[in-house]
Amino acid sequence: MMAQTTMKKRRKNGDFIRRSTGDKIADAILNVTMFLMLCFILYPLLNMFSISLSNEYAVLRADVTFYPIGFNPQAYDLIFKSQDLWRSFGNSIFVAAAGCVLSLIGLCIAAYPLAFGHFYGKRFYSLFILFTMWFNGGIIPQFLTIRELGLYNTHWALILNVLLSAYNIVIVRSYFQSIPLEIVESAHIDGANDFLILFKLIIPLSKPVLATVAMWIIVGHWNDYLNPLMFLSDRENYTLQMILKELVLNAESSIHNISMTGTKQTSGAVALGQQTRNAVLVVAMVPMLIVFPFVQRYFVSGVMLGSVKG
Amino acid sequence: MNAAAKNREPKQNIFNSKRVRARVLQNIWRNRYIYLMVIPVIIYFVLLKYMPMWFLRSAFYDYKLLKGFDSKFVGLKWFERLFTNPNLMTYIGNTLKLNFAALVLLFPAPLVFALALKELRSKRFMKTVQTISYLPHFVSTVVLVSMISTICSPDYGTLAKIAKMLGTKPISFMTIPEYFVPVSVVSGFWQSVGWESVIFYSTLMGIDQVLYEAAKIDGANRWQQILHVSLPGVANTFVLLLIMHVGQMLNVNFEKVYLMQNNLNLSASEMLPTFTYKTGMESHNYGYATAAGLFNSVVSVALVYIANAISRKVGETSLF
Repeated sequence: MMAQTTMKKRRKNGDFIRRSTGDKIADAILNVTMFLMLCFILYPLLNMFSISLSNEYAVLRADVTFYPIGFNPQAYDLIFKSQDLWRSFGNSIFVAAAGCVLSLIGLCIAAYPLAFGHFYGKRFYSLFILFTMWFNGGIIPQFLTIRELGLYNTHWALILNVLLSAYNIVIVRSYFQSIPLEIVESAHIDGANDFLILFKLIIPLSKPVLATVAMWIIVGHWNDYLNPLMFLSDRENYTLQMILKELVLNAESSIHNISMTGTKQTSGAVALGQQTRNAVLVVAMVPMLIVFPFVQRYFVSGVMLGSVKG
Repeated sequence: MNAAAKNREPKQNIFNSKRVRARVLQNIWRNRYIYLMVIPVIIYFVLLKYMPMWFLRSAFYDYKLLKGFDSKFVGLKWFERLFTNPNLMTYIGNTLKLNFAALVLLFPAPLVFALALKELRSKRFMKTVQTISYLPHFVSTVVLVSMISTICSPDYGTLAKIAKMLGTKPISFMTIPEYFVPVSVVSGFWQSVGWESVIFYSTLMGIDQVLYEAAKIDGANRWQQILHVSLPGVANTFVLLLIMHVGQMLNVNFEKVYLMQNNLNLSASEMLPTFTYKTGMESHNYGYATAAGLFNSVVSVALVYIANAISRKVGETSLF
């Protein structure tokens, strides 16, 4: 807790120029606490990375913590050869990229009439969309629908299922509404049609909101596990998270059993399993880490957008 | 919509005369591109958002994939079975236990974190901590659960190592039901504390500096400034988010619960959504699963409305 400071003394010397001892102690405690917090947040990530690069015996003895011990990149060699992994990687990239582009176009088209249109049925249109914000069928009816539409076991099931959400439409619409109406009206007078206005005028003006929504969609697709689990049945089509689950979590119980028998040879295999599994996780996180710095500046704007919905 | 737009909206009795009808047609023609945008969106919503609602009917059928709605109509059979299921209360109890622990232990954490961030003197250190604290939000559930199982592993996990150093027996966190909630909560803290502090942090940054200056002049120290300026400044946001969380008491992070589940911790980790999923997708009893899912969402929606009504009564803040 902050120690009581002698305010008189501090103010005499000008604000915060010379800090009291109590204040310094408080700062020190705060800094140490935040540093520990930083370690807590980084530890699982660093641990994962270190295990993937460590010597098997160090892994088995649980010596590996923040940094690799006995450098051994063998695990990466192994997984770079794994066809499953790369195919699913490609699938995930396709779903995330196509899903993102199509969603953005769809969201703009869905939001434009709400923001700029004056047409019969607008209220119905608006309610029709908003209704789905509060009510949905749930996972099993969703699955039955996807089957009915013949999308089962295709990547389009993943893309179309989350293509447009009422929430995202409302957010894009709110941003559109902040654009001066005069721009649209004068373009109308100049003879531009609504599609032209949307794509040539409105979309270029809406980059911040579109970037934020694009970030949500890409991260959502990349990390999604439930939808692929429900909608995909062939290994060919599996996305990265499905393969990860198989390689990493399904292996858990079997590896656990092997380690119980505890012969030297199998324990070596166990350790390598550990390294490989963590290497797979590291590889799976790389795209997110690449995207991270670029999307970072949209975090705060994104949260703010979310809070003004409705 | 502004007033000018309202005036242009169609009047009530529009089909009175020929002239009016002509005007309507003219309006529709003028808006042809708008309708060209609206129609595909409507079709999308009908097919992918409203069709699932239509498929909720399967709760009243012994639904078979091949037969569709030609399957046998069974009325309320599945609901009867659900309400007489002796485990139903356990499922709901597990959900409430998990969410209540998360609410009490996790909900204030982002606020405390945001306050601490704001108090850091070194802006560069502050930015570093903040940026790194966002990272876990981008980790997928599969990766998160893998990390948990690595760290908690009784054989080669870090926690086991610490237990050995302390001279106690390593605990197998993932397989003992009592540890399901603590492990979920701690990992939830890890994943969300940074991300959820964003909203508090930006609210804190929005507080007028004049208030702090005034407090300083009145002789308030840093602790008092936090107590009397910062906290009242975020109170509204806090209450609003709290209501939202309470309303979502029955919603669970399906992926996480499902992935953390195993046969040994099932008594603590089975909840309605996982039960729904397994009944439908693993046992292929779609009718029963739909009924269970429907029950879960009805109770959830009711909770949201109750929470919102309370908030409207208690304070000025409400969600809708």
